[in-house]
Amino acid sequence: MRRIGVVLTACMVLGFFLMLPVSRVFGHTPLCSCWDNGDGTITCEGGFSDGSSGTGIAVRVIDKNDEKVLIAGKMDEDSEFTFNNPGVPYKVHYDAGPGHLVEIDGDDITE
Amino acid sequence: MKKTGLILLPLLVAMLAFSGPAFAHFQLIHTEESALAKGEEVNLKLVFTHPFEAGHTMDMETPLEFGVVHKEKKKDLMGKLTPIMFESLTNEGKAYEAFYKLRGMGDYLFYVVPEPYYEGSEDVYIQQITKVILNVAGAPTDWDAEIGLPVEIIPLDKPYGLWAGNVFRGIVKRKGKPVPYCEIEVEYLNHDIVGNKFSKKEKVKAPQDAFVTLTIKANKDGEFTFGIPRAGWWGFAALGAGGDLTHEGKELSQDAVIWVQAKEMK
Repeated sequence: MRRIGVVLTACMVLGFFLMLPVSRVFGHTPLCSCWDNGDGTITCEGGFSDGSSGTGIAVRVIDKNDEKVLIAGKMDEDSEFTFNNPGVPYKVHYDAGPGHLVEIDGDDITE
Repeated sequence: MKKTGLILLPLLVAMLAFSGPAFAHFQLIHTEESALAKGEEVNLKLVFTHPFEAGHTMDMETPLEFGVVHKEKKKDLMGKLTPIMFESLTNEGKAYEAFYKLRGMGDYLFYVVPEPYYEGSEDVYIQQITKVILNVAGAPTDWDAEIGLPVEIIPLDKPYGLWAGNVFRGIVKRKGKPVPYCEIEVEYLNHDIVGNKFSKKEKVKAPQDAFVTLTIKANKDGEFTFGIPRAGWWGFAALGAGGDLTHEGKELSQDAVIWVQAKEMK
């Protein structure tokens, strides 16, 4: 019985530490801004409202007509992601986890 | 008796001319919007004026420094300055403007170090080292940075993220050290700036002269707090923050200025 208690406590402690990075992200608002580089490429920059970096956060370029993912990648070490303009109506998803998705319409992305 | 009257009359006229309310000089770096949804080209106007009254605009010489700090990188923008004439409600003064494209998220901290201005009525030089902070897409990066100006107000609240009714707090610093009990003048930009002039329409009426230029003081640690009563642009000028200085043999008041923009909660 005592052993179960120890195991349970260990699990709770482990669970707490596993939740830490999640709560860090969830405590802040994801932010993303994109611009047209004027050379056929688009750059998106991601981050969080506390100023933390979006490095490693998933980015998807999606066809607005059929919702197909055209380009998928991650924010680089500068928290940026550059891709070729797909040439079809598109939108960008900056996906920081469930409930923390930023969607930017390609029509709003200007030079 | 008649002779005495002749002597006294010009004196009286002179006294009346100089006894009017002396409102505060404010160096502006003015733009429409401090909190932008996305990167765009902004217009910045550098004007040395009296913002509450839209009054006398002083002639600016070419500034000594004008630049921007973004993500800890300082960029000289002197090459982007263009001279303009700025129209107040009473005169026209030499000013400058610049266009700058904000690209990427974060804070853009614009600053100007003007050439000292000789104020004849006070026989002093005034140099107002001024900052304004713009933000793109809400990501905070540099708003609370100390950028190494001779005198500087370091904000303790985001200058672009204020509701009317919030307080704005800052620390007055000289060469990185707090300036205790510094006198700070606060003025509201009471007339919109449309093109290169003040709009004639005033937003509020001051019940008495003490409400035109509000005066507060920093505490022993150089910190100050101001409750913002109304949406719009508010300027804070820490007078003589640079200490006892002279310029061309005359007293120099080296002031630290910051502009903040509050939004109405509606």
